[in-house]
Amino acid sequence: MSNTWYLYLFFAVALVLAGLIGLLLKRNLIKLFIAIEVVGKGVSLLLLSTGFAKGSILTAQALVVTYIVIEVSLVATALALIINVYRHGKSLDVRGLAKLKG
Amino acid sequence: MILQTALLIGVVLCSVLAILLRDLLKSAVSLAVASLLLGIIFFRMDAPYAGVFEISVVAGLITVLFILTISLTRAGEEVRETRLARWAFPLAFVAFLVIDALVMKGLLGKVPALASAAETGTFGEVLWKGRTLDLVGQIAVILAGVFAVLALFRKDDKHE
Repeated sequence: MSNTWYLYLFFAVALVLAGLIGLLLKRNLIKLFIAIEVVGKGVSLLLLSTGFAKGSILTAQALVVTYIVIEVSLVATALALIINVYRHGKSLDVRGLAKLKG
Repeated sequence: MILQTALLIGVVLCSVLAILLRDLLKSAVSLAVASLLLGIIFFRMDAPYAGVFEISVVAGLITVLFILTISLTRAGEEVRETRLARWAFPLAFVAFLVIDALVMKGLLGKVPALASAAETGTFGEVLWKGRTLDLVGQIAVILAGVFAVLALFRKDDKHE
C-alpha cells in the first residue's frame, strides 16, 4: 500500500509544482488561473490518495466534494474579475495591473 | 497499477500542456482532458462520488466557464509572455521532479499516522452526519460566489 501511496503523492506533488512554476512564469491572467486550477488538481489528488492509503476514503471523498464545490464558486468569481479587468484595460497582461492609476 | 500510472502520467502531461500551450482555447481543452483522466483515477480509487463531481463539474462546467471567458476577452492572445518561460518552465519542472523523486520517499516515512477508527457506513452517512458543518460552509461559499458575480456585473447607473 505504501508504494501506491508514494506513486500518487509523487504525481500530486508534480502537479502542484507545475502549477506553481506556471504561476511564477506566466503573464496572461487566464493562464495564471489555469495554473491555479492545476495546483487545485494536485491537492485533490493528494487528499483522496491519502484517504485511500489510510483506509478513510469516505471522509476524503467528502472533503474532495466540498473542495470541488468551493472551486466552482472561486472560478466563477475569478473569471468575472478577469472579464472586468479586461473591460477596463483592454488587456489581460498581469503587469498592467501594477499601474494603479485608473 | 500500470493503467493507474499511465493515467497519472496523462494527468500531469495534460496539465503541463495546459500551462505551456500558447492558444488559450487549447489550454482550456487540455485542462478538461486532465480533469477527465483525474476523474477516472478517482473512480478506480473506489471514490465514485468524487469522480462524478470531478468529471461533471470540473471537466464540464469549469471548462465551459473558461471558454466563455476566452471568447469574451479576444485580446487575451496578444499578451506577450517572457522568453524566459519557454525554456525555464521545462527546466525547473524537471529539476523539481528529480528533487521530488529523491526526497519524497524519505519524507513519507516521517509522516505520523493519526489514530482513527475504521470507517463504517456509506458515503451519504459520512457526508450528511459526519461533515454537516462542511455542507453549511458550502452553502455559504456558493452564496458568496453568487453575490460576488452579481456585484461584479452590476450596471452602474450613475455613469451610464
